[in-house]
Amino acid sequence: MIASGAGPRRVALAGPGTLVALVAAGVVWIALLGPVLTLLSHLSWHSITIALTQPGALQPLVVSLEASAVAVTVILLAGTPLAYMLARGRLPWARVWEAGLLLPLLTPPLVVGLLLVFMVGPATPIGAALAHLQLTAADTFFALVVAEVYEAVPYYVLGAEAAFAAVDPELERAASLLGDPAPRTWRRVTLPLAAPGLASALAVTWARSMGAFGAVLIIAYHPFGLPMQIWTTLQETGLYSALPFALVLLLVALPLPLAAYIWSARARRRL
Amino acid sequence: MLDADFEVSRRDFPVAARIRLEAGERISLLGASGAGKTTILEALAGFLPLVRGEIRLAGRPISKAGHRAGAARLRRVGLVSQGSALFPHLTVMQNICYAPGADPAVGNARAASLGLQAMLGSRPAALSEGERRRVALARALTAGCQLLCLDEPFSALDRPLAEELRRQVAAELDALSVAAILVTHDLEEAQAFATRIAVLSRGAILQMGDSVRLLHNPGSTAVARLLGYRGSLLRGTRRILVHPDLVRRADAKGLRVTATVIDCRPAGAQFWVDMEVQAGGWAGRIQARWPTYLPPAERVEVSVPATPEFSREDPWNA
Repeated sequence: MIASGAGPRRVALAGPGTLVALVAAGVVWIALLGPVLTLLSHLSWHSITIALTQPGALQPLVVSLEASAVAVTVILLAGTPLAYMLARGRLPWARVWEAGLLLPLLTPPLVVGLLLVFMVGPATPIGAALAHLQLTAADTFFALVVAEVYEAVPYYVLGAEAAFAAVDPELERAASLLGDPAPRTWRRVTLPLAAPGLASALAVTWARSMGAFGAVLIIAYHPFGLPMQIWTTLQETGLYSALPFALVLLLVALPLPLAAYIWSARARRRL
Repeated sequence: MLDADFEVSRRDFPVAARIRLEAGERISLLGASGAGKTTILEALAGFLPLVRGEIRLAGRPISKAGHRAGAARLRRVGLVSQGSALFPHLTVMQNICYAPGADPAVGNARAASLGLQAMLGSRPAALSEGERRRVALARALTAGCQLLCLDEPFSALDRPLAEELRRQVAAELDALSVAAILVTHDLEEAQAFATRIAVLSRGAILQMGDSVRLLHNPGSTAVARLLGYRGSLLRGTRRILVHPDLVRRADAKGLRVTATVIDCRPAGAQFWVDMEVQAGGWAGRIQARWPTYLPPAERVEVSVPATPEFSREDPWNA
C-alpha cells in the first residue's frame, strides 16, 4: 500500500526513451480528441438552432435518456451481485461465466441484434411468453432497453468485478468477526472501497448504452433514439445535418462518465 | 472458557489442536513458519471448517465438525492478523468503534490505554506499523471479544516497541479478563506473553506446559529444536541435547566436558561460541552464550546439563 501523498506525482523528464514515449502519448491523445474537435469546428450556432428547434427534434434524446436509465438500472441491479460473486470466486466455473460475459463484447453488435430477433422476437417462444406480459421485443421501448443492455452489460460486470476484487477479502472477514451482519459489512466496507471502480464501470456502461447502435438498428429501430436519429438524418439529409445531433449525444453521454472518472480518481488517491 | 479440540485440513498436512483456557488466561503457540499456527487461529476465528471435534467458548459451541461455522459475528472471538486488516477508508476512531453498537466511550478508553489518542482522526495509511497493530488491538477489544487471537502482532516491530506493546496488551487483557492466544516463532516473546506455551510442529501440538519447565524438559528432539537447543553430544546410543544458554564454566553440576573453540562471534553483550567436544566418551558440537571472548582453538572446561537425553536414533540435524 502506498502511503497517502507519497506516490510519485511528477514524471522525471529524462532520457530519449521518455521523450519518445511522451511524443507517442501526445499523438494518441490528439488523435483521440480529434473527432470531438472536428465536430466543434464543423458546427455553427445557426445550424444547431435550426436542427434542434424543429418540432419533435429532441424527442429521440428523451427516448435515449429514458431507455438508458432503465438499461443501466437493470445492469446495475443484476450485474452487481454477479460481479461480486465472480470477484470472490463464489461461482463455480468462473472462466465459463466470464466467457459468457465477453460474448456480447466480442460479438459484433449487428450480429447481437440479429440473434436477438431470433431469440426474443415476437415469433419465438420467449417472445410468446413476453406477449403474456404485454411486452414485445421488436420496435418497442422494451426492445430498445434489451438491445442496450446486451451492448453495455459486459462493460459494467467486468469493471465491477475488478473493483470488488481490489477490496481485500480479509477486511470483510475482519468486519464479520467484529460482529457485523453481512449487509452492514457490504454497506460500510465493501461498497465504499469498491465505489470508485464501480463508478468508472458505470460511467462506461452509461456511455455505451446511450450510444448503442448495432443491435438497436435491428430490433429497436423505433422508438427512435438518438443514435437512430443521427443515422437517419445523415442518410436522408446528409452528413452536415447529423452533426448537431452528434453534439447532443456527446453532451448528454459524456458529462456523467467524465464526472464519475474524476470523482473515482480522487477517491482512489484518498485511500 | 475456551475448550477447543479440533482438526482442520490443509493442503500439506492436517492441523489439530487441543487448547483449554480459563477466562483471562493466556497461552503462546510456538512453532516454525508453516507449522500451522495461523491455521489454528483461523479455525478459532471460524474461517475454516472443522473436520473433527468442536470449539466451545464460554459454554457455547462456536464451531463443530460437519457444521458450517456459526456466524462469525456471534463468536466473540477477536483476531489481530499480521496485516492488521484495518479499514483504509475509516479513521482510527471509526476503525476502533467499527463493531455494531460499539460504545465510543469504551473505544476511547481502549485507544487511551494503547496510546492512540493523538491519531484518532487519522487514516490507517498515515500510521506506522506499530500504530496499526495498536488500532487493530483496540478495535478487537472494543468489540467485546472473549478470546483474542494474536497472529505475530509484534513481529514487525523493533524490540523496545514490541516489548512495550506486549506489556500494554497484557495489561489490557488482564484488566478485561480476556483470554488470549499468541502465535509466534520467538521463544522469548512466547515466554514473556504467557506462562504456558504450546509447541507446534507440522500441524500437531507436540507439547504444552509451563514455559520454564518446558524449556528444561523437551519431550522430543523436534520440541527441543523449537525451544532453542542447538548442540548435541553422543556417547554410544545416547544423545544429549544442549541449550546454548545452559552451557557454563565448569562447576560441580551436570556433565563436565572439555571443549575446543571453533568459532566465536559477538552476540549482544555476550559471545556466541561454537565448540567441538571430544572428551569422556562424549563427542559432538555444542554452542554456547559466553560472557567473554574465547579465541579459536582454545580448550575450555564446560558444564552442561545431562538432560534432555534422547536416543542416537532420534532425528536431529542442527
